[in-house]
This record gives sequence, structure tokens and C-alpha cells, in this order.
Amino acid sequence: MTVESKQNKLGAGVGFERIRRITGYLVGTMDKWNDAKKAEERDRVKHSIAK
Amino acid sequence: MIQMIIKRDGRIVPYDREKIALAVLRAMKASGEGTVADAARVAEAVESALESRCGAEPPQIEVIQDMVEQELMHHEFTNTAKSYIIYRATRTRARESRTTLMKTIDEIASKDAKLSDLKRENGNIDGDTAMGAMLQIGAAGAKAYNEAYLLRPEHAKAQREGDIHIHDFDFYALTTTCTQIDIIRLFKDGFSTGHGFLREPQSIQSYAALAAIAIQSNQNDQHGGQSIPNFDYGMALGVAKTFRSQFRKKLTDVVADHLDDDEVEAQVAKAIEMTEVSFGQNALEPAEGFDGALTRHLYEVLGIESDVAAHLVARARRRAETQTERDTYQAMEGFVHNLNTMHSRAGAQTPFSSINYGTDTTPEGRMVIRNVLLALDAGLGHGETCIFPIHIFKVKEGVNYNEGDPNYDLFRLSCKVSAKRLFPNYVFLDSPYNLKYYVPGRPETEVATMGCRTRVLGNVYDPTQEISYSRGNLSFTSINLPRLALESKGDEALFLKKLDDMLELVAQQLLDRFEIQAKKRVYNYPFLMGQGVWLDSDKLGPYDEVREVLKHGTLSIGFIGLAETLTALYGKNHAEDPAMQEKGLEIIGRMRKFCDDKSQEMKMNFTLLATPAEGLSGRFTRLDRQRYGRIPGVTDREYYTNSFHVPVWYPIGAYEKIHIEAPYHALCNAGHISYVELDGDTAKNVEAFEQIVRCMHDEGIGYGSINHPVDRDPICGYVGVIGDTCPRCGRREGEAISEERMQELIKKFPQIKAFVGIE
Ligand SMILES: [Zn+2]
Repeated sequence: MTVESKQNKLGAGVGFERIRRITGYLVGTMDKWNDAKKAEERDRVKHSIAK
Repeated sequence: MIQMIIKRDGRIVPYDREKIALAVLRAMKASGEGTVADAARVAEAVESALESRCGAEPPQIEVIQDMVEQELMHHEFTNTAKSYIIYRATRTRARESRTTLMKTIDEIASKDAKLSDLKRENGNIDGDTAMGAMLQIGAAGAKAYNEAYLLRPEHAKAQREGDIHIHDFDFYALTTTCTQIDIIRLFKDGFSTGHGFLREPQSIQSYAALAAIAIQSNQNDQHGGQSIPNFDYGMALGVAKTFRSQFRKKLTDVVADHLDDDEVEAQVAKAIEMTEVSFGQNALEPAEGFDGALTRHLYEVLGIESDVAAHLVARARRRAETQTERDTYQAMEGFVHNLNTMHSRAGAQTPFSSINYGTDTTPEGRMVIRNVLLALDAGLGHGETCIFPIHIFKVKEGVNYNEGDPNYDLFRLSCKVSAKRLFPNYVFLDSPYNLKYYVPGRPETEVATMGCRTRVLGNVYDPTQEISYSRGNLSFTSINLPRLALESKGDEALFLKKLDDMLELVAQQLLDRFEIQAKKRVYNYPFLMGQGVWLDSDKLGPYDEVREVLKHGTLSIGFIGLAETLTALYGKNHAEDPAMQEKGLEIIGRMRKFCDDKSQEMKMNFTLLATPAEGLSGRFTRLDRQRYGRIPGVTDREYYTNSFHVPVWYPIGAYEKIHIEAPYHALCNAGHISYVELDGDTAKNVEAFEQIVRCMHDEGIGYGSINHPVDRDPICGYVGVIGDTCPRCGRREGEAISEERMQELIKKFPQIKAFVGIE
């Protein structure tokens, strides 16, 4: 492999892994979730800790 | 004159009056009225009715059946008519389910999971693999059969139309949900997995390995998650064994070095044995005076001067401790890796596993807790977050909650780990409904959870055994609460009436299913019952019915969408208006009272579940939107809110959310959980994290956990929050980085074992 093509390969096409909790279980990617659960995750708002 | 008839599939076949007479006779026999002659008479009447109706045209089979019903009524065979109608309906249901089944299997076999919601119903099964798809096809077949043959028509209708959801319906005829596996009892004297006998383990490594095997074995007998309620207490026994043998080994080594004699093993063992006779077993913290006595015995047995011997004992103790700590860490690391990579059930699904710990204050138990937390913190081989098992930290005042409590340091450590890895979750032993069962010194009375929330503690069937261990849920069915509210159109009294009726319907359905489960025998559950995992099953023989011992388990009625229910009835949810909170507690309180009354009536454990909404929240909502249209705050999203939760989209502070949800935990005795969502920066602040856990404890939450984003870049190994670009290497999703930049990273972060994603 040439240096040039190897450079292009480092990480190309590799996504980030995003762990989320769905109904109590952790899930590594969202591909396998059903549509309603994807929507639920998308709608979540953060909770402020200001008293 | 009728000569031909048209069958359902369109085929035209010769007409035969005898066949009608036979069908009529069958129905008559079922209802216990009529004779062969009566059947012939009815068949004749059917024939003449058909002739006057169809003339020379061949009649449809459905028409003939209508005529049979009609003539049975005319001839006053009312009961026979009824049983004939039921028979027809059942056959129709079976036929329809076959058609639906074929369509379902077609979708499973030919569609990509990305395009099929059906195939993504359970996020833990990969429907794109052969084994995963086979599992889904099997499930679809079982469901079709169960609906057509095992459910009463009213239950089948409620299930089909989305009034209720019978969970794990594919396993309806087969087994029960879950168990808290008491590993101490299981490991004592060894156990059999069905593939061989395993001796009682002798080191922490084998304790941990066997714990994973126990989870996997029981997973084959039940459809739900598996949990260990006493992970710390159980593993501590393995730590103790490892320490004892390590101590003997290290002492032998140092004595051998000192005397320059390799043949001292037997004498050293003898000195230790003599000491243990009077001081009890050697341990991480042995009885007062143990080491002094051992020093004297070393003099007696090997003639080592006491000041030297004391020195050797101390050195051996230090080394054995270090070695035991190291072994424990490796055992915990192996256990976690094992549960993340292990497959069961046709190879498609990692076992749903949970472990509870936090309250064992012995040095051995503390060593387990510390190391399992550290293994969780380290993650898998490339630093990936462990998906399994679910870790549950038991919080208890006087044990680990306050500064000065013996395990307070471990509680603090758990917060630090959870802030990074999303686990452990927290279960709160001090909440009044948990505390009332708690007996100090009896860990089986400590509440433990399994899977995403299930909890078993009270026991109406056997009030002398109100414990967590060796029990679990048998089955659960959830009610579509918003549907009842929508049907009631703001009429509260009507809603409550419908709710009562629905509770009664679900209770009956759970009892019907119990009847199926109860008729199974011990050999149907070779591990769960055959190895005595389930409470009192050790008193049964292999061919005994499991009916009585199953009654230690729970039948649970669940619900989802309290927020939407309140909005449909009154216009607002319980977070928007304190008056709605009162209404919410009334509704859920009414459901709990129903469960308590039913428990007393049946002397069984009916409990109320705050249902985790996997799979069903989308379905209920879709069906209700078709029926009632898009109603703001009710059907205008794709899902109903999880159980009693404040809706995920509703802006609210963490403390207020906890305050609103806590009272429902007391009511939902089958299981409950509350979540708080933090942003990544807040979660990294361990003090803030701990404050939220403390707030949960003080408000009377039963089980809680804190969500925050956990992202990882597999290229540079960064774990934390990643927005558009990775904070460590600066690349965007899918983007490449240069070889030079990679070399810089490797130099800068030497602790990262491997940079993956590059070949
Ligand atoms: Zn990176």
C-alpha cells in the first residue's frame, strides 16, 4: 500500500460510537432501535441541576 | 339441487350433505344435546334453505355455515348453535393468524432491519443475522399460535386492538420471566448445567466464571433477564478462598527463602492449621491474635525465631493481599467481558444480566465491589463501555450512604464510575416500602432489582419469605391507559369504571397464563427448578408440578402513558399542575389497591409495574392516533411516555422531576425506575452527580439512574461527549486522520492500548 492511500484510510468511514440507555438497557448504536424509541431519544431534554 | 360448493380458497368441490350432518353432530356432542337423527334433520333443513337461496349456483362455504347456525337456532338447539359459532370464530381466527403469520415471516426473511420496524422491536436481537431472523420467525409462529389457541376471545381482542400488551407473548405457553439467582446457595456443593457438573468453586476466578455460567444457564429456562442479588456477598466467598490459598503459598515462599529450604510446605501448612484451629479461618482481616499465634507455631514447627517469624508472616500477608486484589480485578474484568461477549438463545442475544452489590462491608466483599467498579470503569478491550451486565448499587444509610459509613468510599467510587459509564444504577434500601422488609444481617431482605426494573420483595403467598432471593416475576401485561382516557372523553367516572374493568380483564388473563405455567413440571425448567434456583423448588422431584412454588413469584399489571392519560382527561399532565399530580396518584393508587385486593383474594402476588415501554409505546400510540386522530399532548408524538414519568420532552429541573416521580415508586411494587438526563459536563462533575443520587435517596425513590451522553471515537479511543468533532483527534464522523497525526496521538496517549478502526 502506498503511503498516500494508507493516509486516506485512517478512520475514513469510521463513525463515532454513541451509547444511550433505552428502557433500562444500554445500546451501542441506534440502528437497531424501533422508530418510536428513536423519536423518544431525540425528544429528550436535559434536566438542570439548579435548585 | 345443489351439486357443487365453493371452498374458501376458491376451489369448487362436490356437495355432500353428510359432511354438514357430521359437523352438526360434532357441535351437538360438544354441547351435550341432540342425536344422529337430529343432526340429519338439521342438515336436511340446511340443504333446502340453501336451495331456495342459491338455486343452481354453487354456494360459498361461509353461506353454508351461516345456514347451519340459522337452522340450529330454528330447531331450538341453542347451545349447539353457540358452540358452533364459537368453533367457527376460533377457526377463522386461526386462519387469519396463519395469513398474518406468513406475511410476518416474509418481512423477517426478506427485509433489511433498517427498513423494518418489526425487526427492530427488541433492540437486543440482530434481525439481520441468520440466527436472529430464525429467532424472530419462531417468535412470530408462537405468537400466532398463542393468540389463536390459548387466549380467551376477549383477551385476544384486547391484545390485538391495543387495549393491553401481553409482554413476551412469544413465550406465553413456555416459561416465566426472571429470577434473582442466589449464587451462594447455588455454588454450595456445586451444580449441574445440563452439560456437566461443576464443583464448588475454589478461587475468585472460578467464582466469577461460574457466576457467568449460572446466568447463561438460567437464561435458557426463562425469557426475561437474569440477575444476581448478592454479587458482593457471593463473590466475597471466592475472594476469601483465594486469599487463604495465596497466603499459604506466599508464606511457604518466604519461609523457604529464609531457611534456604524448598521442602517446608507441609510444615508451614501445619503451622497455619494449628492457628486456624484456635482462631478460625485465616482471612483478609483475621481474628485478633491470629498472626501472633502463627508466629509462635512457626517457631514450634520450624524453629524460626519469633521476631523473624513475625516479619515473615507480615510479608506473606502483604503479598497475599496484593495478589488477591490483582486476582479479584482480573476475575471481575473477565466476568464483565464474558457477559458482553456471551451469547445464548440460538446465538442471537446476549443474556440480559444484572448484578446487585454495595452492602457487603467485609474486607472481601469490599474488595469485590471496588474491583468490579474498577473493571466497569476501565471498559472493554479498547475502552468500550460495557453494555452488560447492568450494575446496581444498593444504597443504605449506616452502610454506605453517609461519610463515616463503612462503604461510603465505595459509594463515592460508584458515582465516579457511573458518571463515566452510565452504570451503576442505584437502588435505595431506605425508601420506606423497601426498609420495612429490611432485616440487618439478612442480605436476602435487601431489595434488589433485575433487568430494567423488576423488583420482588413482599410475599402474600408465603409471608414468612418476604425476600428478594430466588424469586422473580412470572408474567406481566400492560394496560394502555391513554386509550381508556380517550374513550372516556373527559368523563372521570367513566374512565375509572373502564380502568376497573380492564384491571379485572388483565388479572384474569394473568391467571389464565399462570395455569399454563403452573402445569409445567420440574424437568421443564432443568436449571431454574432442577438445580433449585427457584425458591422451594429443591423440595420437588423432577416430575412434580411447579404450581405451588411458582406462587412465590409475581403476576404484574403494568401501565404506560400516565402523562398522556391526564392530558386526555383533564388537559394537563402531572408535571404541569400540582392538581394533576394528585389525580395521577389517585389513578395509580387505585391500580395498586386493585393488585393488593386481588393478592389477598387469590393468596398470590399481584403487583403493579411501571412498565418499561420497549416495543409497545409506539404501537399503542399508532393505533390510538388512527382511532382518535392527532390530539396535542396525547397522540401527537410517536410514543407514549414511559409509565408514570414526566414526559421526556417536558422542560423541568432534575430535583423537581425526582420530587414528582418519587411517590409513584411507592405504589409500583412490581418495579419502577426514574431517570435524570444530564449534559456531559454536569455528569463529569462527580459532586453534582452524587447530589442527584442523594436527592433520589432522600425523596424516597426506589430505583434510579442518571443518563448522560457517552460517546467514543474508535480511532483515537476518546470516551466522553463528542459533538461534531472529536475533542482529542479533531476528526469528524467518518473522516480520516493523517499518519503523522496518529503518531502524535500514540506518543501523547501511551496508556491507550490500541488504536482501532485502522488496519
Ligand atoms: Zn478522536
